[in-house]
This record gives sequence, C-alpha cells and structure tokens, in this order.
Amino acid sequence: MKNKNLIIIMCLLIQFNLHDCYAVEPNEILKNAKQEERARNISKNIRCMVCQNQSIDESSASLAKDLRILIREQIKDKKKDDEIYKFLTDRYGDYILLKPPFKPNTLALWLLPLIFCIIGLFIVIINNKKSKKLIKNI
Amino acid sequence: MKKQFFKIPIIFFTFILSIFLYLLIIDRNPSEIPSNLLNKNVPKFVTKSLFNSKKFFSEEEFGNETTIVNFFATWCKPCRDEHVYIKGFAKEKKVRVIGINYKDDPEKAIQWLKEFGNPYSNVAIDKNGKIAIDWGVYGIPETFLISSNAIIQYRHVGPITKKIYKKINLIIEKTD
Repeated sequence: MKNKNLIIIMCLLIQFNLHDCYAVEPNEILKNAKQEERARNISKNIRCMVCQNQSIDESSASLAKDLRILIREQIKDKKKDDEIYKFLTDRYGDYILLKPPFKPNTLALWLLPLIFCIIGLFIVIINNKKSKKLIKNI
Repeated sequence: MKKQFFKIPIIFFTFILSIFLYLLIIDRNPSEIPSNLLNKNVPKFVTKSLFNSKKFFSEEEFGNETTIVNFFATWCKPCRDEHVYIKGFAKEKKVRVIGINYKDDPEKAIQWLKEFGNPYSNVAIDKNGKIAIDWGVYGIPETFLISSNAIIQYRHVGPITKKIYKKINLIIEKTD
C-alpha cells in the first residue's frame, strides 16, 4: 500500500515537473526581466516547425533555438510583439502560430465546432420533445 | 420532413469521412508545410561566399535566369543522398544551381564538394541559420526553384528523389 502511494506521489511530481520543462538555455535569457517575460510569452505562442506539436519555448530543436534568439534580438531592437509575429508569419505562414488567427480562410476551423454543437443541441431538443410526447401517450 | 431532418447528420458524417478517405488516398506528405514565400520575391541577403573572398549578394545572383537554390550541409546525410540529383540539374544546364551552406564548417564543406562533386555555380555561407529563417527553411535539405525574374516558384522539403527530380524538371520547362 505504501509503495502504491509512493508511486502515485512520484507520478504526480513528474507530471508537475513536466509542466515547467522549458528548453531555454541560460545564455539565451535576457538581463531585462520584462523583456525576457515578453520573449517567453511570444515563444509560447510560436510552433516549433521541426517538432510541430511543441512551442519553441519547449523545443530543443536547433531551429527553435535560432527562433528564440531571433525573438530576443528583435525585442532588444525595440520591435513590438505584432511586428515580431508578422516577421515570423511572413516567412513561415500562419502555421507557425499555435493559435490560428480568425481569418476568412480559418472561418471553418473556428465556426464548424459551434455549428456542430448547435446541430447537436437541436437534435437533442427535438428528441426530448418526441420522448415526452411518447410518455404522455403511454 | 422530420425524417429528412435526421438524415443531415448522416450526410455530414459521410461527407467528412469521404474527405478523410480522400486525404489518405492522395499522394501527400502531411508533415510538409507549404512555403509562405511561393510567388514572392527572393529574400535579399549579403553573406560570405564559400569559394572566393568576394561577398555573395543575392540581388546579383538571382533575377537573370531560372535558378535552383539548395540548402545543404556536410553533416546532413539526406543532402549526400540527393547530391546526385543536384549534380543532374547542373549537368543538364537548363538552370543555374546555387548552394547555401547551412550551419557548417566552410573547410569541411569545400572538402565535401571536392569529394562528391560541385554542382554549384556559387555557394553562400549561412553560418548562424539566419538566411534559412528568411527563406522559411525548417529542415534541410530544402530546394527552391527561382524564376528568371527572381520569384520563388516551388519549394521542396527533404531530399530530392527521382520522382521529385522529374517534377522539378517539368516545372522548369513550364517556367521557361
């Protein structure tokens, strides 16, 4: 029993640790804490083009490191967040953003789940009414 | 009327299923991301040239004739695999072939080209990978086809195979 609890605690600890796993190396970190925070926030929204399911903040791929350094350089050059995002999307397209923007070509992506939910809800309501009628008739 | 209404989810489901089936059947690489630079001008850059002391000016290199740009490195095994096809492009003399040596040791790159043959009319050095980022490169080898007016026509991610070699040659013929 004790062993079981220990395993559960260890699994939980690993789980919590994984959330804080970042690939940022000490020599990449900016001295200015505010600028570093901005860099981290941008990096968390940028997809690693090599791993594709990780942000560049979490990825240890060489390209992810290059992009992290580039973002920090641009922040030091006093570029705004929008300008940095534009720089990246101009080269890699919207795919590099982990959260796709709301644009005409992404309308289906954003609206289809809502449309399916409405259809589902509609079907549930109609079915509900039907079954109520059936119960009354019985 | 009500019966027809309940057909809608089935029609939707069949429609989505047919899309999935179609995507499974067609010949495509789902991890390949289309280039955002297609039909746009070649990025401008200035860097060192691998073979001579002269600088490499992209504006001088592109915009005169149809050109193939190949990102390569000596440490990249697939680059060696596709090298025979890059040499093929240079041999056929339909296009000019430019190399961009990505994050590599220049001396090793010179040695590598001596050993396997040099199909490039000029090689630009991308020491820190910044030129590659400007081209939207995410995994070398990558090959671009540039028209004579310096517009990016095609991009291939990964090593060139016999099939891709034929495909690029067809695009070259159309571009001409």
